[in-house]
Amino acid sequence: MSSSSPSPPSPLAHLNRLKPMYQYVVNNFLAMVAAPLAVAALVHAARVGPEEIVARMQALRPVHVFLAAFVPAAAATLYIMLRPRHVYLVDYACFRTKPNCRVPFATFLEHAKLVTFVEGQSIDERSVRFMTRLLERSGLGEETCLPPAHHFIPPYRNLEASRVEAESVIFSAIDDLLAKTGISPSAIDMLIVNCSLFAPIPSFSDMIIHRYKMRSDIRNVHLSGMGCSAGLISVGLARNFLQVAPRGAHALVVSTETITPNYYVGKERAMLLPNCLFRMGGAAVLLSTSRAKARFRLSRVVRTLTGAQDNAYRCVFQEEDGEGHRGINLNKDLMTIAGDALKANITAIGPLVLPASEQLLFALSFIARRVLNRKVKPYLPDFRTAFEHFCIHAGGRAVIDELQRSLGLSDEHVEASRMALHRFGNTSSSSVWYELAYIEAKGRMRRGDRVWMIGFGSGFKCNSAAWECISPARNVDGPWADSICRYPVDIPEVLKH
Amino acid sequence: MVFDGEEAAHGHRLSTVVPSSVTGETNYELSDADLAFKLHYLRGVYYYAAGDVVRGLTTKALKDPMFPWLDAYHPVAGRVRRADDDLQAAPPRPYIKCNDCGVRIVEAKCDRALDDWLRDDAPDRLTHLCYDKVLGPELFFSPLLYVQITKFKCGGMALGFSWAHLIGDVASATSCFNIWAQILSGKKPDVSSLEPANTPRDHAPAGAPPPRSVKPVGPIEDHWLVPAGCAMACYSFHVTEPALRRLQQQLSHAGSFELISALLWQTVAKIRAPKEVNTVTVVKTDMSARSGKSLANEQTIGYVETGSSPSKTDVAELAALLSKSQAIETDAVAAFPGDVIIYGANLTFVDMEQVAAYGLELKGQRPAHVEYGMGGVGEEGAVLVQPDADGRGRFVTAVLPKDEIPSLRAALATTLLLRDA
Repeated sequence: MSSSSPSPPSPLAHLNRLKPMYQYVVNNFLAMVAAPLAVAALVHAARVGPEEIVARMQALRPVHVFLAAFVPAAAATLYIMLRPRHVYLVDYACFRTKPNCRVPFATFLEHAKLVTFVEGQSIDERSVRFMTRLLERSGLGEETCLPPAHHFIPPYRNLEASRVEAESVIFSAIDDLLAKTGISPSAIDMLIVNCSLFAPIPSFSDMIIHRYKMRSDIRNVHLSGMGCSAGLISVGLARNFLQVAPRGAHALVVSTETITPNYYVGKERAMLLPNCLFRMGGAAVLLSTSRAKARFRLSRVVRTLTGAQDNAYRCVFQEEDGEGHRGINLNKDLMTIAGDALKANITAIGPLVLPASEQLLFALSFIARRVLNRKVKPYLPDFRTAFEHFCIHAGGRAVIDELQRSLGLSDEHVEASRMALHRFGNTSSSSVWYELAYIEAKGRMRRGDRVWMIGFGSGFKCNSAAWECISPARNVDGPWADSICRYPVDIPEVLKH
Repeated sequence: MVFDGEEAAHGHRLSTVVPSSVTGETNYELSDADLAFKLHYLRGVYYYAAGDVVRGLTTKALKDPMFPWLDAYHPVAGRVRRADDDLQAAPPRPYIKCNDCGVRIVEAKCDRALDDWLRDDAPDRLTHLCYDKVLGPELFFSPLLYVQITKFKCGGMALGFSWAHLIGDVASATSCFNIWAQILSGKKPDVSSLEPANTPRDHAPAGAPPPRSVKPVGPIEDHWLVPAGCAMACYSFHVTEPALRRLQQQLSHAGSFELISALLWQTVAKIRAPKEVNTVTVVKTDMSARSGKSLANEQTIGYVETGSSPSKTDVAELAALLSKSQAIETDAVAAFPGDVIIYGANLTFVDMEQVAAYGLELKGQRPAHVEYGMGGVGEEGAVLVQPDADGRGRFVTAVLPKDEIPSLRAALATTLLLRDA
């Protein structure tokens, strides 16, 4: 490993060359220790001689032999029976947006402006200017979609229109998924739907059961009010169910958000942001404990909640403004709170996914900070050693920037998030699935690659799921089919319009 | 019968349709000929009789083909902007930014039956079926095209198009709408390429007199409305084929357009006496002389002058003047700097005989009736001579000051025009 460069190499260059060696040694520590021991044992056995070994074995008492065989076998069986079952992702499908729902930047602005002239609505000139500035810097492109009810001036926000949107998104995603997996609706044992802001009676899960004529003993749950990270909460819930369900059971998880009833017509600036960012989208995911035809394995789901603190709890808050218009109030210190929640989640997931080398370095730096000197910079674990791909919830440009900085990720790692934000906008809990679809459509997924999905949401929650790829997608079919050839695009700081 | 309240269209619901794919950073330059027409708005209504086809045409069925249609006609979905860098002209030259902002769709209901409505010849029935808006005061947010879908009590339907004349003349507009109808019926039409207009040519010197066919108006800022003179109204009537043949036998063997225009020239002159109507503008559409661009203003504009008073001149003589003595000023009008009005500067006769208005077939159903009017017409008025449903008679829409309409109706009732054999 010596280089023959003329100038003396810097210490940092030395360290960079030593780092892979260090990682190899620490991560395979057991192997590194066991190998010499095994060699020593073989050498000793060879020296003792085969006849001597046979004589020693014949001298053993039967009960010792029985125990020597039985105890490890029993321990192994108990271990296999009691360990948690592996949960696999059979396949997933995202709602494909239709061109007749498209909302270009100019149209959104014009509608926002025109609603000011219609019977007593409250949006005023200042609000429109504020929304213009937001949209220019939002990172959204010209192809994001809003439900047909929002193409009217003023937009429809009633129950019927909301149901129409929910049905079109959810049924389209499920139809796609059933076609991809070839599974029949009556083979589904559990159905979890998450939609935060719209929960009519009967619930969406009942709506799906009615439409697809599912079995009468299906376990169905609708999670509402759980925020933009609810998709990962649903996956965690499905995983727990699959531990106790019959072997080979299937769980269908549907993540969506209904935009129609939630158009904010007031003028509070903190509440105008969701209008500008939230767009139509949804995803359907099929999980199972059977490995047949599975594409990913779920390795971890880690949920952290910081809601015990006041500022985290009130950070994303649905309320009525001074004029009685309902909307979602986003606090100014959203980014700080998101950063804290992320740290809490990293602290929980780090020990579970990081290789031993990174954990050792983190522990050493932690001790150094405590014992030696506070000025020692905290070691930022390199999550690129644990994951090949990152799906960060496309909550907004600021969220992605903040996470890129906190985790020390390169532009390529967050490309999926930025492009999903550009093409689809903030689709709430399903955005991580659109990002996964992007990575697969680009052909970057390989067998054995590990994916980290991070979701944020009201509460304030930060939830993670870690997946390992078993078999990548075979074609580009999916929500990105028509547009992937145009991506990645360069997203300007401020959109010219 | 007057149209108002419950009898007219009500329950308006606005929405927007955009092109289905991203157009990108494109501008559509407006030629001088385009800008000369900027204060005028075409108002065309297509009526469809009740039946299975119309019943199956829900609003969604009508809107869905518009998305791919606007891909081909993306300037129609754009908005007017003014060039920032043109510092000499004040205000700077307008152009269309193709920002996919979209076309406005208006849904309305009418509590009358279609046949009842068509039989009623009260003035201004066009205005109720076309959304009555102009460009401005905020050009940024003013659509160039409004499409109003009015459903009648009997199940019939009317499609009202309100088209800003600056994007194209009536021939461009009708072929644009016909393309939409073809997409609706499942065909994949070939749209000729949208070439931006030629670069502006030299303007006439600042002090030059304006062409006779037009009237200059005070600098129009951002509200593109003809300065208020008197209220105008549209009155439409049908000249049946027998009536037309009778006129040709009795008055003159001139073409139908010239004959009808001459008759109306004389009638209006009589109504306006003692004020003389010696000069009229003639705007013609000649399909063979068009360049083939999808969107263009390529009508010929000219004027005709008579020495003697038209109220005393023979109709045959007026018709002869109209067909032979027209002074063409199309280029001069385009070259004239400053804002003008063309329709209504003088009494204007618009020849629409070659326009394929009845080609707007929705799933094979031809419109029962088509009528075109104009918004933003000057005080002198305009007369549009159009083909009728079977193509052999003519349909005429007169846009005149409101107080002249009763006299016009009375006069027409007594002349040969409306009396059937």
